Amino acid sequence: MIRVQRSLTAGLTGPRAAPKTAVLQALQWAVELEHATIAPYLYGLYSLDRSKNTMIAAIIESVVVEEMLHMTLASNVLNALGGSPVIDKPDFIPTYPGPLPGCVQSGLTVHLAPFSMEQLETFLQIEEPQRPLDFKTAAAVDDEMTIGEFYTAISQAIGALGDGAFVAPPSNQVGPDLMGGSVVVTDVASAQQAIQIIIDQGEGTATSPLEVEGQGYAHYYRFMQIKKGHMLVPIPNGGPNPEDKYTYAGAPVVLDKSGVYAVATDPGPYAPGTVHAFANDNFNYTYTNLLRVLHALFNGEANQAQFNTAIGLMMSLKGQAKAMMAGIPDPGALTGPTFQYQPVNPSV
Amino acid sequence: MSYLDPLRLHFAGQFQANVSTVNNDPGHFDNATFLQHYQKRQGPRMRPPNGWFNPEGDAAFRLLGCTVTSAWLPARAVDSSDAVLECIVADSDSAVAAKLVDLDSEQQLVSEIWGLEVRIADANGNTLMAGNYKPAAFMDIWDRATGGGNGDVGAGSAYHSVLSDLRWADNLASPFLQQLKTASEATGMLSIKFNIDGFNMDFSSPDFMVGRVVGSIGPQHPGAPQHLIIGRQFMAVAAAHGNFFTPQGGINFFPALIDTKQSSIYLDLGNALSTTAPGEALNNLGDLTLSAGATSLGTIAATGSDGYASDAAWYRQTAGVVALALSAAQCKAAKRTPLTLTGNTGIEIAEWPNGAFVRADTYVYRASPGDAVEVAVYATQFGERLSGSAVAFSFDSGQLQPTPDEHPYVQAGPPVAAPTSAVQFAEEVTTDAHGIATLVLTLSDPGTPRWFNTGTDYGIDGQVYGIRPTFKDASMNAGPENQWNFISLLLWSGFNVPDPVTWNDIQPIMQQYANLYPAMLRFLNMADEDSVRTHAGIMKLAFGLPVSDPNSMPVTRDLSPAKRAAMLEWLDNPVKSTVSTPRPKRPVAAAQQADSGVPPAAPQGGKAAAAARRLIVQKR
Repeated sequence: MIRVQRSLTAGLTGPRAAPKTAVLQALQWAVELEHATIAPYLYGLYSLDRSKNTMIAAIIESVVVEEMLHMTLASNVLNALGGSPVIDKPDFIPTYPGPLPGCVQSGLTVHLAPFSMEQLETFLQIEEPQRPLDFKTAAAVDDEMTIGEFYTAISQAIGALGDGAFVAPPSNQVGPDLMGGSVVVTDVASAQQAIQIIIDQGEGTATSPLEVEGQGYAHYYRFMQIKKGHMLVPIPNGGPNPEDKYTYAGAPVVLDKSGVYAVATDPGPYAPGTVHAFANDNFNYTYTNLLRVLHALFNGEANQAQFNTAIGLMMSLKGQAKAMMAGIPDPGALTGPTFQYQPVNPSV
Repeated sequence: MSYLDPLRLHFAGQFQANVSTVNNDPGHFDNATFLQHYQKRQGPRMRPPNGWFNPEGDAAFRLLGCTVTSAWLPARAVDSSDAVLECIVADSDSAVAAKLVDLDSEQQLVSEIWGLEVRIADANGNTLMAGNYKPAAFMDIWDRATGGGNGDVGAGSAYHSVLSDLRWADNLASPFLQQLKTASEATGMLSIKFNIDGFNMDFSSPDFMVGRVVGSIGPQHPGAPQHLIIGRQFMAVAAAHGNFFTPQGGINFFPALIDTKQSSIYLDLGNALSTTAPGEALNNLGDLTLSAGATSLGTIAATGSDGYASDAAWYRQTAGVVALALSAAQCKAAKRTPLTLTGNTGIEIAEWPNGAFVRADTYVYRASPGDAVEVAVYATQFGERLSGSAVAFSFDSGQLQPTPDEHPYVQAGPPVAAPTSAVQFAEEVTTDAHGIATLVLTLSDPGTPRWFNTGTDYGIDGQVYGIRPTFKDASMNAGPENQWNFISLLLWSGFNVPDPVTWNDIQPIMQQYANLYPAMLRFLNMADEDSVRTHAGIMKLAFGLPVSDPNSMPVTRDLSPAKRAAMLEWLDNPVKSTVSTPRPKRPVAAAQQADSGVPPAAPQGGKAAAAARRLIVQKR
């Protein structure tokens, strides 16, 4: 379980209603946190030869897509309250290796690493619920909280602000017409619905690994399938407890290590003038372009053309990352993308 | 007026053209004979026949590390304090990379750039001007490097187009950019030209698929063509040897422009001077003297402090554009007299004796049956528009590139330029008051002349044609012809969208893309019905975008609107086909499969191979 600095919610909790600025700050941080999980997931995903690790790749991909949705939902709530998500800035991207934004320094250090069972442990820690359904307990430390607790604190603070805190008409919303599963946020109820989707998709509900929204299991349980080596399946006529209703006894999920490209853990920095620097520069330039396009998307350009441009950039990143990590064009030179802010594309 | 303007900037850096190469061999379009190893990178000397040098290319075209190297106000260089001198020239900061696109596997010598946004930005990448590059094909490809690499590696070429839909930053600090903005307001466009050379084909090099680019940007003026200079045209004589084109006089085709207001002549030597090696220094051809008959108009020094051959920075800083001041007498002498540029013994290039020139502004077209395509063709004489002049048009397929039945090709390529009955046009069109002859192409269904196995197996869509303009009056064609000066047309086959569209209807199209573009496997298997259905959303998005969008698929821009409509219809309702009956595979000639023997060395690269199989070369 990753631990969030309780100080991030300092303005949110307490006897008096949270000032709006504290909620906006917390939501900006939420956007950054959701985004920060994407790079390590993508690095793991694109390190896989999909033909050899089809199921694992599909699991990671399904989680990444929902992290993008979470980023959208957090932005929608932020915009609905009159804020503006800031995405196009160098420090929007965390430093890898390092803690996720807002998380305690002594906690989890997240690396960009090719997929492995060790890296899977990182993924599991990012997604671990407050109380996973195997009754594992977490030591509660007063100055730390889980991501779920943090979102709950935001949700409660929004409730305290009341509907009057929302701008009318709704501002800069990326709705379900553009992003499947998204929620247009206009008031306390829709804001809390959006936040609950984030919590449920990440952690599951308190009583089930199932998300409320969507068809899949919560992220933690999806990743656990890899660790357990089998897909999670329902037990027909299972017992009354949540643990009796599902079992890791479905189709085997086995990591084929020969289907993992031997890219570096914590890639770069690459020496200028190398094959690696060239591929990585193009990747980072594209990545920075994507942040710029997302910034516009979440700040007033919520239209199909802008969304298509963002999708196109994501596809381009996918194509570039898969090629560079698989050693295309030179099988002797594998390159891991560093996911860094780069507004200028240099010469080779 | 254009980039070849008193008000202009020059830039230099690198470009990437990450083209894919499985489609270099037209025989690879034959689904019935396609073999898996055609997707593999080539082995020594292309044995066995395979996917050529970059089968995994994604077609990206990028500008890399381009910086403004100089800028000129009318009559003088900008002040050293002008902020434009700190600027970069870059591609889009908010979209995917542009794409480099061949017209056709049998006309690979007019590759166009699609979906390019060009920006002038400060050193941190903040945009000061952004404009959309109008897709344009290269022109005047030649054997530029005299040492150190042949074929594509040693080639040079040039792109001339316009930037439109200009977006300028507020409060431009640079006086130059302020003037450029004002000068562009009449058309809302800028003129851009860049020269490319030094292309790297070593897959293990960081420079793989990268080359040098130097270019110029200036205002686009009202009424001016967008890919052509109305100016003085220096015409090179072809040497008997060479791959793309080797000028007998050592200097390639180039334009020049006399500006009487500035009392200057501007010469664009950016793609005209040879280099010692690919992407390296310019050869010393001697001091280059410009003359009008017996009158010398000036000299471009080869050596000295800013000699074009001695100063390593000269080419980067000028992009090969030279301004020579002319006296009134020189202006007068130049007005109706053919110009020549001469250097060391044997180094020479000149206008036609009568100063005449005729060329289409846009010379690459894609069209469907039933379309009427209008082609603006400009006639000039001594740099002036020539009105009332009869321009003749005729088919000329000599530069098109069907494959011979020999190594490294997997089979004899389909015939080009037939049937001619599908392309109707007037044999003669007279230029209007602006010197423009408007050629109208009336197009009907060419059928499927490029299917394989005597027309029974799916092949290359439609047909490709070449049409060459000349002066009707033969005496007007008074000098060497530019072999590249013709109109290329890809005319798609008629295709009736079935109702309903089934997978079987679009399977051959998808199979061909899957075969030719292995990079697509990073996203989906286009040959697999289930895979396409799973990715129907993203496919609909990509195939539904306008072709001008850099994300548009297919990046090759070779899918006819009719077939695109069928594909989109199926993606809208991807009903599973009940029976799938893929055509049986045909065997490939044993000789083409052999992995032994040492074929003769050939010029390196897809363009070089295409140039070597032009009909006009095959017939020699």
